[in-house]
Amino acid sequence: MAARRRTLLKVIILGDSGVGKTSLMNQYVHKKFSNQYKATIGADFFTKEVQFEDRIFTLQTWDTARQERFQSSGVAFYRGADCCVLVYDVNNMKSFDNLNNWRDQFLIQILTISFCSLGNKVDVDEGESRAVSEKKARAWCASKGNIPYFETSAKEVFNVEDWRGRRDVSSCLWHESITPTLLLHRYLPDTIDVAGGSQQRSTGCEC
Amino acid sequence: MPPAGSALPTAPPRLISQKVMNLEALQRIASRGIPWGGGMRALVWKLLLGYLPEDRDSWDGALVEKREAYAKLRSELILNPSESGGEQGGAADGPLERREIPDGDHPLCLGEDSIWHRYFQDAEIATQIDRDLERTHPNSRFFAGDSKSSRINRESMRSILLLFAKLNPAVSYVQGMNEVLAPLFYVFSSDPDAQQASDAEADSFFCFVSLLSNSVDHFCPHLDNSPKGILSTLADLSQLLKANDEELWRHLELSNKVRPQFYAFRWITLLLTQEFGLPAVIRIWDALLGNPSGVQEMLLRVCCAMLLCVRRELLEGDFMANVKLLQSYPRVDLERLLNVAGQVVTPQSRGPT
Repeated sequence: MAARRRTLLKVIILGDSGVGKTSLMNQYVHKKFSNQYKATIGADFFTKEVQFEDRIFTLQTWDTARQERFQSSGVAFYRGADCCVLVYDVNNMKSFDNLNNWRDQFLIQILTISFCSLGNKVDVDEGESRAVSEKKARAWCASKGNIPYFETSAKEVFNVEDWRGRRDVSSCLWHESITPTLLLHRYLPDTIDVAGGSQQRSTGCEC
Repeated sequence: MPPAGSALPTAPPRLISQKVMNLEALQRIASRGIPWGGGMRALVWKLLLGYLPEDRDSWDGALVEKREAYAKLRSELILNPSESGGEQGGAADGPLERREIPDGDHPLCLGEDSIWHRYFQDAEIATQIDRDLERTHPNSRFFAGDSKSSRINRESMRSILLLFAKLNPAVSYVQGMNEVLAPLFYVFSSDPDAQQASDAEADSFFCFVSLLSNSVDHFCPHLDNSPKGILSTLADLSQLLKANDEELWRHLELSNKVRPQFYAFRWITLLLTQEFGLPAVIRIWDALLGNPSGVQEMLLRVCCAMLLCVRRELLEGDFMANVKLLQSYPRVDLERLLNVAGQVVTPQSRGPT
């Protein structure tokens, strides 16, 4: 039917309140940073199309509120997730310690899942107020089955000259982390039937 | 502050100057939208929330009593462990005296009743509150920024929320309560009567408690499945939509599988405060507070009307488009929205069959 196969991937973002989950999402999806996000209540929904090799993927991302109150309601969002992104603030040790809880809570709901982990806010005080070292974070990730780890700043747009051209770090890392994580760690069927997703208007479709 | 095109004052000021307030008349005025300016809204909201008695003669006494009660609670419950036990006396000057500290209150004591344990718990709640207050109406100079006045406002709101958390330990503080408090505190602080405005903190506290008294279960995860918990309220919304527009309901819930939880969780728990700008929220709250059948009934009507007002877009949309649309609700004509809300058929309005 469709000339171009499309795949839906469901991504869940977890981490303590205030570590910058919504900021990361906005930087990733809209290439914008703002100090003016409101606290997330329930879950925010974002979508983004990414191309990987010759396939177009639609990432369907749930940025969930992380206060305890919202845990039971989280179940509905976890269902059918392909990838879980754990975020902490490198300047806040507690947010790092809590990664264990987020990971465990997620695993209670979902059995097969690929994780990746992001240490956010590396720009703050030019690293002076950093509380969690990269080494420590990497060690934790290694101990949990080699979770891919990246350091990010949703705020600073670092212009990195490399073979990909000029791109900001967070966008780069998302491309480097989520997509490959999904592709490497999980068998992907051609299409995933997610809630009416198959009915979407598909651009470039010659029916 | 009033939204463009809002109605000019139409309410008879006479009503407010009567000796005994007619609550039904006030509800009608509020439902149509309380005129901006003149401090009328602060007064009417306080009356509708039952904070002010209907008899004008007892207002002063009631206010003095409440405000004193608030000051007392605030000084008693917002702890500073280093100051507790200070009544033991001791010379005002000279070396500090050694104080006897009960074993249970030693800073390193792990007991849950220890004053320090409670202090550290409070500090944790306060940190979360502060984090959220910095994100309350981030575009508004009243709430956000480094100005002295906004900092004072945030401090007042923090005390209110902390006190609420301490008085309701089973609920404590839940993210989003900051948003529910904001319109009350804003309206009361903006009262042109400086005397009243200076007591906005105490007044907002009691009105916040009163407003939440019917819906506090929405904030409690262990009550999610109870008759007044959030999941049953979401189910009520779904039924309301089905009763009013079955085609739309079928499309959203059966074809799209867009569950109310994906968009209306925030609408309902936060009384729509994150869906619209502050002036619009205040206008909607006039209607919520003025509803004779209660805030929650009107809230569900407005939520249902929000779906009906974008019905065409929703019927064309798929899962992703519709979740996105409902999560960042578009600008609509507010009066039309409230009008549609007033016409929503509820199980009560249909009467027994």
